[in-house]
Amino acid sequence: MNLTYNKAYNDLSKLVDQIEDDKIQLDNLADKVKQAKELIDFCEAKLRTIDKDVKAALTDKKPTTRKKNRL
Amino acid sequence: MAKRLRLSELVNEIDDAIQNRFAGETFWITAEITDVKKQTDKRWCFLKFIEKEGHLITAEIKGVFWANTFHNVEKFEKLSGQTFASGLEITCNVRVRFHKRYGIDLEVLEIDHTYSLGKLELEKQQTLDRLVKENPKLIRLIDGQYFTSNKSIELPIVLQRIALVTAPNSDGQRDFKQEIENNQYGYAFSVSEFLTQIQGDNSSKLLIQKLKMIEAEKENFDIVAIVRGGGSQTDFKPFDDYELSKYVASFPLPILTGIGHDRNTSIVDLMARQHKTPTKVATNIVEHNYNFESEIMDFKERFFETAESLIDEAKDNLLQMKRTVKAYSPTTILNKGYAIITSNDQIIINPKDIKVNTEIKTILKNELIHSTVTKKSKNELDI
Repeated sequence: MNLTYNKAYNDLSKLVDQIEDDKIQLDNLADKVKQAKELIDFCEAKLRTIDKDVKAALTDKKPTTRKKNRL
Repeated sequence: MAKRLRLSELVNEIDDAIQNRFAGETFWITAEITDVKKQTDKRWCFLKFIEKEGHLITAEIKGVFWANTFHNVEKFEKLSGQTFASGLEITCNVRVRFHKRYGIDLEVLEIDHTYSLGKLELEKQQTLDRLVKENPKLIRLIDGQYFTSNKSIELPIVLQRIALVTAPNSDGQRDFKQEIENNQYGYAFSVSEFLTQIQGDNSSKLLIQKLKMIEAEKENFDIVAIVRGGGSQTDFKPFDDYELSKYVASFPLPILTGIGHDRNTSIVDLMARQHKTPTKVATNIVEHNYNFESEIMDFKERFFETAESLIDEAKDNLLQMKRTVKAYSPTTILNKGYAIITSNDQIIINPKDIKVNTEIKTILKNELIHSTVTKKSKNELDI
């Protein structure tokens, strides 16, 4: 897996721009949702595991919790 | 035989003499202090002023801070980062007092902080000036702020691989790791420790050695944290070292420093990203990652909210289309009492296509009417 935080961030930001600018066709929506979810899951998992365990964590699908309320 | 005096009479005369000479007058003196005894609860401080020639004390007098001037002592400690203690040279404003029982002393009214701090600061300032002058590409002084190559390196978007430089078994090491390991968000970190003595003459060289080891495997780290617990001003001396400061300014990985307390700023701090204490360095690293996660969560919310509204919108459109199709269907129209006219199985849209004597079919709800056109005239009904 060569995904980095920077790439995940940029890709996700692009997906958000696309969907907000009506550039995503309904036909592609399911695919784009899947992509966005993968990017988010990657970040969440990587933040809470050291590098070599990220893959395992992603397949494991352990729920991650955020204790502090977002601002 | 000379006249005998009671002790109190003599002491009164001494008091008068001193009053006559010193009443209402204050003096600025610069002297070394010794035998410093602070009574923090009462906010008093007793001490002795001395002057030496070589090892010989040539003048000595008691001195005192009372509660109304004790804040001078506290301010001195806050500004200088060192304890107000024997061996310091201070400049202060004093008043000569005489007490009939405790004798003569100097009541301190005010410390000249600029003088006291001057000596330490001067040395530091000279090093800073030299750093700027000799390394114009690495270090720049703009509007009182030091800009260095190291400070200009952008922090990675997430900080997880930390090279920690600190003293073994120190408060700084413990505080930093505790904050990192028990962070409230459950973020994972890998902390590689580069432990060395950070106090004493040789420390700056040892610190450089550790940084060189980190540089040799810099691709394994996101950042370097240099931390050290509190101490006196002289304890921080290695962090004012020219060579170490220069190396820090040029270091290829971002360096975060937490050296001492809030009141301490070393030259190394000025060359890197200063976060004051070991705990604050750790908190900032954790918060940096939290900011990243928050942005990701914002993206998540925006993306999925828009995706949902897209789907809802599509559903609404579909429903609308169904309604429209139904509203325009022939069945709906015929049910309302309208008719469709055909000729040769073609729906007549333009009445001009029908000539007199043409056979036409009128389609109504349940019946077909066959007829022949006998007459055409202009439609003057107002429908």
